[in-house]
Amino acid sequence: MKDLIDKLIQEKLAREAEAKTRRHFIKNCAQGIGGLALSSIFAGCDPLSSSPKKTQAAFSERDLNPLATLAPPYSSKVKSVIYLHMAGAPSQLEMFDYKPELQKFDGQDCPQSLLEGKKFAFIKGTPKLMGPQAKFKQEGESGNWVSDYMPHFKKVVDDVAFLKAVHTDQFNHGPAQLFMHTGSARLGRPSIGSWATYGLGSVNQNLPGFVVLTSGGNTPDAGKSVWGSGFLPSVYQGVQCRSKGDPVLYIKDPDGVTRNLKKSTIEAINKINKQEYLKYADPEILARINQYEMAYRMQIAVPEVMNINNESDNIKQMYGVEPGKESFANNCLLARKLVEDGVRFVQLFDWGWDTHGNIRSGSIDMGLRNKCREIDRPITALLLDLKQRGLLDETLVVWGGEFGRTPMQENRGNKKMAYKGRDHHGDAFTMWMAGGGIKKGACHGKTDDIGFSGIEGKVSVHDVHATILQQLGFDHEQFTYEFQGRNFRLTDVEGEVIKEILA
Amino acid sequence: MEVLKQLLGRLHPLLVHLPIGFIVFGLLLQFLDRKKKDYAQLIPIAYFWGGISAVAACITGYLQYLSEGYSFESIKWHLWSGILTALFSFLMYFKLNGAKSFNLLNKMPIVFLSIIFLILISFTGHQGGNITHGKDYLVEPLPNNIKSALGIETFEAKEILLTEDNWETALIYEDVIHPILNNKCVSCHNPKKAKGNLLLHAPEEILNGGENGVVISDKNAAESDLYIRMNLPMDNDDHMPPEGKTQPTKEEIKLVGAWIDAGNPFKGTIKDSGLAKELFTSFLPKKENNDYPNIEIKPVEHDSIIAIEKTGIHIDQINKTSNFLSVSCINKPSFSDVDFEILLPIKSNIARLDLGSTKVSDNIFKKLATLPNLTILKLDNTSISGKNIEQLSVLNNLKSINLTATNFESEHISKFANFSSLQKIYLYKTKVLTTEIKTLNEGQISIDYGGYELPALPTDSIVY
Repeated sequence: MKDLIDKLIQEKLAREAEAKTRRHFIKNCAQGIGGLALSSIFAGCDPLSSSPKKTQAAFSERDLNPLATLAPPYSSKVKSVIYLHMAGAPSQLEMFDYKPELQKFDGQDCPQSLLEGKKFAFIKGTPKLMGPQAKFKQEGESGNWVSDYMPHFKKVVDDVAFLKAVHTDQFNHGPAQLFMHTGSARLGRPSIGSWATYGLGSVNQNLPGFVVLTSGGNTPDAGKSVWGSGFLPSVYQGVQCRSKGDPVLYIKDPDGVTRNLKKSTIEAINKINKQEYLKYADPEILARINQYEMAYRMQIAVPEVMNINNESDNIKQMYGVEPGKESFANNCLLARKLVEDGVRFVQLFDWGWDTHGNIRSGSIDMGLRNKCREIDRPITALLLDLKQRGLLDETLVVWGGEFGRTPMQENRGNKKMAYKGRDHHGDAFTMWMAGGGIKKGACHGKTDDIGFSGIEGKVSVHDVHATILQQLGFDHEQFTYEFQGRNFRLTDVEGEVIKEILA
Repeated sequence: MEVLKQLLGRLHPLLVHLPIGFIVFGLLLQFLDRKKKDYAQLIPIAYFWGGISAVAACITGYLQYLSEGYSFESIKWHLWSGILTALFSFLMYFKLNGAKSFNLLNKMPIVFLSIIFLILISFTGHQGGNITHGKDYLVEPLPNNIKSALGIETFEAKEILLTEDNWETALIYEDVIHPILNNKCVSCHNPKKAKGNLLLHAPEEILNGGENGVVISDKNAAESDLYIRMNLPMDNDDHMPPEGKTQPTKEEIKLVGAWIDAGNPFKGTIKDSGLAKELFTSFLPKKENNDYPNIEIKPVEHDSIIAIEKTGIHIDQINKTSNFLSVSCINKPSFSDVDFEILLPIKSNIARLDLGSTKVSDNIFKKLATLPNLTILKLDNTSISGKNIEQLSVLNNLKSINLTATNFESEHISKFANFSSLQKIYLYKTKVLTTEIKTLNEGQISIDYGGYELPALPTDSIVY
């Protein structure tokens, strides 16, 4: 109990310290000077006022080296994770979840029984069902279904394990993305990558432990919180790198500044910052100290690892990279390079998957094909490349969106739309995992005949999280962080490891 | 009148605490006051009200007995001792008030009476508690060994012991179904505590069913309550076992279902039942495929790890349950053959060694051969040609060698055939001329030459 109270007091002090701004500083100065003047008048009246303020702040080993590695609690199957998120939610019905029955009902009204009590983002009244727009084939030895939107992917279909009946309780992009990456639809929780780097640290001391790469012309709707550190120390948040131009903004030294000068500058600043920390005990100061040092080391290491020009032509062709541009293909190649260099968690976001049918680029039969083409080759290449380097054994690759799409054609405003589109749908959608410890060619879960709901092997977002943590060597029920008087988990009070897809 | 009877009866559990309070208070005062005698006037008052409230408790208790259908046999001890307590309380009151009418009592020392009274009130209260909560309510939380020492029957979890070799000959009910029901259901469905009048500890009782009828429908799990209830969502009130109790695993539920579908055989082996092996695989011992040997090893001195890490070599404990180490030179690209000596203090504990992108040469093999527990070896992006690699064949735990982007030559591939545990060799971007040998030792070792390509497809250039 006493520990708990101490911890709460510490948290309160930390909040206060965070709130201290320049204004407070000046205010403190004014009071201080006034106090000085008074103290000479009332010298000796109050012995306490002149005694130095006691502070309990001190540096622990992990404070100064927050990414120092920690042993996983249990046997881990993978060292790193590459999470490929298709922001906007791809249509499972045109990619992996083959529903021939749905074709028979194409153009018919959706039965009322399915619509009762359901919330949709845009669908109004009675929408019509829409058959799959893609052609499907069973591929590989596993015989899992892949559509002709993903013609290259069939080469690796035997390496991945599908989850066909994932469900989420969110139907708008922002909250659903937050839920998918932090385990909560509300702001404030740490992302999976933050949990992973907090719990395990990172091997390469010159690179961030958690790197984020975005493509598709936009960042996720939920903003940077999807790679935020929530209540974990800020140093564990994802570091966003760019595949176009400077990989990390403002990391280059200005002309005329030598590396030695930079080093002594940072040393001087950090010396002051450490004094500040001892005085105010604000954890944000620690984060700042570490970020300066990391940035200094990154100045050399990051341009090296982020340079894809040194890769062989074969590799560049396989991924289909476009050097100098921001592309998902470039990011996939970078993901491999980062994992190869010991980065713990690489998060890729590709934007532009929201296929409502309101515009051409957001149509199921045209825009979605373009998006699929943009990821098909890079993802297949990534899996093959990881495999041939022996990295797939120690890396977990996760693919998915924040939810899936309806078997019904969207009828925004109860009108026929300009293009074919599908609305947001969280009841059942497809994700897949590949890599260390994952059962190759597995397929878990089944949806009903029209792909509306899961009927077998339903798994929740929490279950997916529990499984990712298990592969990294955690028991998701024991991996906690105490905040505001209670222990928090990535999976909160839910989640069950999906054993069916584990080797 | 019936209403009043029931209502008053239900007040009994509340009222009983009054006499207990008064009497224990009185006894405590007596004890505190044993020398000074400051409260001599107060103590009889406590016993007086103790007696009054005890009479009230007796009356309400009797009404409760009448209206709630207890058998007299089950409450008789509580009833008689309750009445005795009420009488005794008044007796103490009179005695302490100095009534001379009971000659016999005058001869008994007050201490003796008080002790009897304490025993009596405790006994009465305990009997009442047993009626309300059940006989084993108090001892239930005790650990099993203490329970059996006290002579109380214990509930023992039964383990399902199946192995790769014996699973077919194991008995379907005795060895598998019975332990599942025993561990997850029987604690509430046994002869002593038959919730819903259902007993699940023995075949005939299972077939008898409970107050809602039979729980097994012949060869039809989907119609059998035993199976249906376990499959209901947690928040359904009919879900079994109830929330808070240990839940059966998905595999256990599935197996019980399959067992019912097969006609719920109580006799015979698993093979006789005709159930598929997949149903049982989760009960078979798990084959551990870890990247470290499956043995216990002593931890290394923390100081030697710190000393090695000072040189820039990175060391991790492989996980918190094992003392094996993962060693990486990712932050020390200058590592060369001579630096190997640094690792000697921890050599038995090294299970994973990453020497990728370092300056090691073919001379490292002789040294690596001294790491008895080496399981995963990474030598990618080095100048290794494979000469002397046969020296590693003494490593009985070695599972994987990564030689990606090295000068490894074709002629050395055959040497791997002598490696006893090797499973995986990575030879992408090496000097190997042919990729014909895909496996060695009858498929035990697989070789990945990489060089995958994704030829352009016509669809690659179609923009919609």
